[in-house]
Amino acid sequence: MTAPQVEVLLQTILSGLLLGGLYALIGIGMTLIMGVMKIINLAHGELMMVGMYIAYVLFSTFHIDPYLSILVAAPALFLLGVFLQKFLINPVMKVDAIIPENQVILTVGIGMVLANIATIIFSSDYKTTPVDYATKAWYLSDIWKTSPIEISLSLPWTVSFCCALAITGGLWFFLGKTDMGKSIRATAQDKDAALLMGVNVEKMRVVTFGLGSALVGSAGCLFIPIYYLYPDLGGQFTLTAFVITILGGLGSTVGAIVGGLILGVFESLTSTYAGMGWAPVGRFVIFLAALIFVPQGIMSLFTRKRFGK
Amino acid sequence: MKRIVVVLLTLLLSGLFSSTLFAADTFDLVIPLPLTGKTAKFGEMMKRSYEMAAEEINAKGGVKKKKIALSFEDSGAKPETARAIVEKLIDTKKQPIIVGEYTSACAKAVAAVAEERKTPYLVVASADDDITQKKYKYVFRQNPVNAHYSDSLIDFIAKVVKPKTMVILYESSAFGTSGAEAMAKDAEKAGIKVLLKEKYEAGSVDFKPLLSKVKATQADVIYMVSYVMDASLLMKQIKELRIDAKLFAGGAAGFAIPEFIDNAKEAAEYVITATLWTPQLKYPGAKEYADKYKAKYKDFPSYHGASAYSAIYVVKDALERAKSWTPDGIRDALKATNTMTAFGPVRFEDKEGYQNQNFTDTFVLQVIKGEHETIWPEKYANKKYIFPIPTWRERR
Amino acid sequence: MKKYLPLLIAGILALLPLIGLSSYWMHILILVIMWSVIGMAWNLLGGYCGQVSFGHAAFFGVGAYTAGILYNKTGMSAWWGLPASIVVVALFALLIGYICLRLKGPFFALGTLAMGVILRVTAENLTTITEGDLGIMIRERTWIDKTYYFYIILILAVASFFVVKKVIESKLGYYFVAIREDQDAAESLGINTTFYKTVALSLSAVITGLAGAFYTNYMGYIDPKIVFALHDISIVTIMVVMVGGVATFWGPFVGAIIMVFLAELIRSIPKLGAAHHTFFGILLILIIIYLPNGITGDNPKLKRLLRMGKTT
Repeated sequence: MTAPQVEVLLQTILSGLLLGGLYALIGIGMTLIMGVMKIINLAHGELMMVGMYIAYVLFSTFHIDPYLSILVAAPALFLLGVFLQKFLINPVMKVDAIIPENQVILTVGIGMVLANIATIIFSSDYKTTPVDYATKAWYLSDIWKTSPIEISLSLPWTVSFCCALAITGGLWFFLGKTDMGKSIRATAQDKDAALLMGVNVEKMRVVTFGLGSALVGSAGCLFIPIYYLYPDLGGQFTLTAFVITILGGLGSTVGAIVGGLILGVFESLTSTYAGMGWAPVGRFVIFLAALIFVPQGIMSLFTRKRFGK
Repeated sequence: MKRIVVVLLTLLLSGLFSSTLFAADTFDLVIPLPLTGKTAKFGEMMKRSYEMAAEEINAKGGVKKKKIALSFEDSGAKPETARAIVEKLIDTKKQPIIVGEYTSACAKAVAAVAEERKTPYLVVASADDDITQKKYKYVFRQNPVNAHYSDSLIDFIAKVVKPKTMVILYESSAFGTSGAEAMAKDAEKAGIKVLLKEKYEAGSVDFKPLLSKVKATQADVIYMVSYVMDASLLMKQIKELRIDAKLFAGGAAGFAIPEFIDNAKEAAEYVITATLWTPQLKYPGAKEYADKYKAKYKDFPSYHGASAYSAIYVVKDALERAKSWTPDGIRDALKATNTMTAFGPVRFEDKEGYQNQNFTDTFVLQVIKGEHETIWPEKYANKKYIFPIPTWRERR
Repeated sequence: MKKYLPLLIAGILALLPLIGLSSYWMHILILVIMWSVIGMAWNLLGGYCGQVSFGHAAFFGVGAYTAGILYNKTGMSAWWGLPASIVVVALFALLIGYICLRLKGPFFALGTLAMGVILRVTAENLTTITEGDLGIMIRERTWIDKTYYFYIILILAVASFFVVKKVIESKLGYYFVAIREDQDAAESLGINTTFYKTVALSLSAVITGLAGAFYTNYMGYIDPKIVFALHDISIVTIMVVMVGGVATFWGPFVGAIIMVFLAELIRSIPKLGAAHHTFFGILLILIIIYLPNGITGDNPKLKRLLRMGKTT
């Protein structure tokens, strides 16, 4: 391998990892919701869009840094999620329909309304938060003067990546160590058993949906410095979230991180070596492969089967 | 609750049938365009521009003493819906001329209907070459075809930059594909070797893998055909990776709109782009239109808006000359159009295998100190181009 | 009476063009009928057999492209795409079924969703066969008058209606419903579930593919982003069925009326501009909250609701 080839490969893997970390945060919200409620939430990307608009409004009117706006966007999205779950999704889930997937229409409807309200309020213009550090980066050749290759590491991407990891860490702690977190996991594993053990399943669902929305909302805040915003951007991120959820396994936070990173690196590698036009095919091929060969998610390969699972 | 639903539905339906009656002293023009969906931004810009033109015309007394009454229908960039709207306009409303639409897919659907129903259709901003290559008699196009978008750009590159190699990146859409193919052909003619020609999915987040491959080719020119924000993401990430090509060039669309500079900021500096129109042009009314638009909506319009604005004037001109306000009368008048607009001269010619196609000059813009400046062709230039451009490391 | 209802409605529909509808209404009618065909196809697989597919655009697109490629490469009339699509789509259905049918519940839904996207991107990239993003345009549509198109799609709809009805009322139908209600139980009763699911999928796919081939002929232009659209085709298909009524014969038809006709009405309310999406979205939410099995599916409930609305 010549030096330029090494450079291409390293840069590809690096950007894949950074992208994967961000993808993971979008995926975690969905993996929680899908894990606990077994519903396919097609409004996931739209919730992210709402989070991004909150960051945008805070930036353009009060000049608040998009990263700080997580503190506002996450609680706001939590409330929105709680509202949606309590008044719209729960009533539909309670009735016994022939096809349980009928909530899909509900989430499609919610997505439509959210995107359309955004269009009405903000028009369909493309919005950005032009922060000063948008294109700042660290370069290998600045540190190591005689380096034969040049690798760059973008500042906002790195910050977003670290925030994503921090949030995921916090969530992992919440789910693993607190009572409420444990109840949520119990609900995800076996709803009826959890009910018997005295878990308020209804409440856990509401909290989970709120939590999932808050997570994807914060993902929106992390995305806006490196991306842009318009009312119809939700769809593509919903798809990404599906892929990660399946890769990582329903309801598994660690799985979502691993899934996100795998997806990011895989997508980067296909972009470089197979052509970027094919990158979406690569994404969905690993998605299908994961669905078929490791339906429990990547993490199931690493953990030994526990009793009763 | 149920009552509310019932009341809402009744309101909806009654709203439908109430407002169809208009006084006869207006000329009703319903324009289909995308107001929802991914291309809504351009629909919105064109809608504002159509409205501005109609207001101006009405303030000066309208067309043959009739006021132009504009209204808009959202096609959501779906060909079936666009077709539905146009069928309705031709059939129920008996509108003698169709103007509008944005995406090439919708324009093709509308063009086919217009031709079948023998109603003139003025294409305003859809660039796909074959819309006016189908021997349609009733389809007119005001904007140049995609194959010609970069005429001036390639001229500039050949005369000033004189590169040996080039990389072409384009988005996977009809617009991107035909733009990239036209450029590849032009480059070959000019003796430039195309090292890499690659497409990407519009809306991608991370271009760095692709760009690091581009970097390894060390091409002289990087030419990109991108919509809106992909353009600024590409430039931002090019800056991050410090890819030092001799020139970064864009093929209209995303590079030519003000949001490109707002978002890419210093990464946008020195980037050149092809465009069909700029606010600095000395066409009559161009500057006035641009200033008025900016005053009202805070940003300069791109060529899409200018084309829409001028289209209403072209329609007015045709209506004034038309022997009768029937589809055929207006078609004949449109065919004979020879007028000057804020978008430039408009004449619908049959040449190079196109029918009823307007051929205008295209221009090259360069971002200089955070503004789009016209640099080529020289007779239109308002600033001297900057070339060679500094490397990323020198910029700081 | 009930036995003759389908014939009666088909008869009324067949007479509609004679009363001189404008071509706009004919267009809307054609779309309504086309969507009910796709809806009936989806219903067979999703409603009766319980396999909720999020990727019917795959079959629609393959059908549309069969007609398009046939026209583009061989110069034959794109109408030959209808018979040709039966074979091509069936092959694709077997392949997709082989991959996806081993998945259950939401996993099947996501698997088919992935298939739809994979086919779209493949169609975008295989430019030598599909012309890629430039799409395929039919130079001249066969007829200007819409009546012919109307009768063709109507015949297709009536045929699909009877095929679906026959299948559902036969032994096959019972197997399908058994699989939907409890796949493991069905298996233990000796039903070869994989086989019957493949049958349902192939039948559903072929009908959808026919609608796709019709679309190519009718609209005269296709590109991958249109015919393989996730939202505009796959999800709209699901909504047609779910709004209309899951696992009912008339559901897809009612759903298509709502999704096409009502959507068009709401869209053309003057002065509403882009806001029509909000109205339509709210309408969908209300329907699913109050009528979780769709309009026809919850017919008795609907009647009760309306009566209550009158008395209170």
